[in-house]
Amino acid sequence: MRNAFMNTIIDACTSRGDVFIISGDAGLGVFDDFKETSPDRFVNLGVAEQNMAGVAAGLALTGYKVFTYNIVPFTLYRCYEQIRNDICYQRLPVVMIGIGSGVTYAPQGMTHYAVEDIGIAQTLPNLIVFSPMDPIEARLAALFSLDSPDPVYVRLAKRGEPNIHSSETVDVSRPIQIVDGSGTALLFHGSIAPEVMGARALLEKQGVRPRVISLPMVKPLNGERLHAMLEGVEDVVTVEEHFAEDGLGGILAREYARRMPSWRLHTLGVEKKFIHAIKDTAGMRDLFGISAEKIAAYVLNLDRGRG
Amino acid sequence: MKMDLEGASREIRKTIIEMANRSKGPHVGTALSCVDILATLYFDTLRLDPWDERDIFILSKGHAAMALYGTLAVRGLVDRSVIAGYYQNNGTLPAHLDRFSLKGIEVSAGALGHGFNIGVGMAFGFKKQKSERKVYVLIGDGETQEGSIWEGALFAPKLGLENLTVIMDYNNLQGYGRPRDICSFEPAQAKWDAFGWRSFQVDGHDHRALKEALAAEAQGLPKIVLARTTKGKGVSFMEDQLVWHYYIVTDEHKDKALQELG
Repeated sequence: MRNAFMNTIIDACTSRGDVFIISGDAGLGVFDDFKETSPDRFVNLGVAEQNMAGVAAGLALTGYKVFTYNIVPFTLYRCYEQIRNDICYQRLPVVMIGIGSGVTYAPQGMTHYAVEDIGIAQTLPNLIVFSPMDPIEARLAALFSLDSPDPVYVRLAKRGEPNIHSSETVDVSRPIQIVDGSGTALLFHGSIAPEVMGARALLEKQGVRPRVISLPMVKPLNGERLHAMLEGVEDVVTVEEHFAEDGLGGILAREYARRMPSWRLHTLGVEKKFIHAIKDTAGMRDLFGISAEKIAAYVLNLDRGRG
Repeated sequence: MKMDLEGASREIRKTIIEMANRSKGPHVGTALSCVDILATLYFDTLRLDPWDERDIFILSKGHAAMALYGTLAVRGLVDRSVIAGYYQNNGTLPAHLDRFSLKGIEVSAGALGHGFNIGVGMAFGFKKQKSERKVYVLIGDGETQEGSIWEGALFAPKLGLENLTVIMDYNNLQGYGRPRDICSFEPAQAKWDAFGWRSFQVDGHDHRALKEALAAEAQGLPKIVLARTTKGKGVSFMEDQLVWHYYIVTDEHKDKALQELG
């Protein structure tokens, strides 16, 4: 996903003179060629995230479309006030790219996880938030970002994720149905996609076919459309590699309160605690109940409960 | 408007006193402190015509907003009626800067240690575009306790930002004390020198000295002008008094202050 996103931005530089990329001393190998071919469009602003965000705002004020690149905590947390005041309050076209969503980097430790970024990004007016699930959604989010007059935050995992969409004809600004189904709807965003699709495959074997919906644009959420897409289901289960109450789970809880639909809401994700467990990403997902097997078991239980 | 710098500074100070009195808001001391710097910039140094190619001034110490509003009004860039709505219910201008509130407010600022880095970014952008436009940023001395200042200070010389001039309002008084008593503030100039900036130290109320420092050759480096100032400058009972960071200007204060300013 990272490469799909970044290569789209780098490609745009050949036809656009206004694109500028700032790395916060991150992105091993990502910018090697770009640095050589476009030295006037790239700068490494080192281990200084507050300055990076402020400089990005300044460059944007002089007419540049600016992309900042770092792992999520250094893209969004360290310099939250700069993003709030300098970028979002001033409504500048800066795109903040955060790598290592969720527990991508397990077992690096809590400092390097990103399980609250959607919650933090949600607090910022003017900010558009993307959490693409595969390289195709990442590329489409990059194209959207290039033309957005508003600031954008993009949450990515790393590289090497499989494509789930088969073509680029989808609209990433809206909820996207990946597989049709009934009874339960699985809503998710971002790199948990293979677990969700894995759960869908496991359930299929048991004759259970939940509807699966991806939400690449988490904010603003097209609630109207999502509500229509959930027509007829009895249970809605959100799945995310994020604190459930501050991410999609929390967003859906508000949607639920607003619309009082006939379905029941279940939120799967990371429990709101600091993570001390030492496990790899798969181990963490199992621990949090968001592995393919655990998701499938949850949905199966709902299905059986319905009789 | 043709006005000498002494006259402009006096008018700006009077405008500030009136705004502070009408609003019953704080920060009159900090606003008065930087008036001569703003007058020098807006009546001499800054290229403002054509507007689309103007030099940029960023008030990073955004709590001195009254000084900027007053300067823009006296310079004729803003209508006085807009100033009347400063800090009023259903008013026109907030106590800290919002760039959408008024033409001439280049950057929204209020939290310290932000405008400085935005200035670094703007100077970098102009340099990349090979533009002649220059960027001037006013910071407070207390503001240099923000880590973001020193992050930017590390990068601006490396980026070769000779189009960036930072002026420090060196009044040696912050909200609740003197910088040198609160932290290892001194030697301030040596710090900037060590970070690779071209530094100057001047009397921040001497227009000629300010003009010369602002016009000095940058020699490929960003410049910092440490402008030694007196907080509350121009009103005897406010000068160098900590309390005037937050004290309210009553009608009695106002009359006395305007009388002194002449």
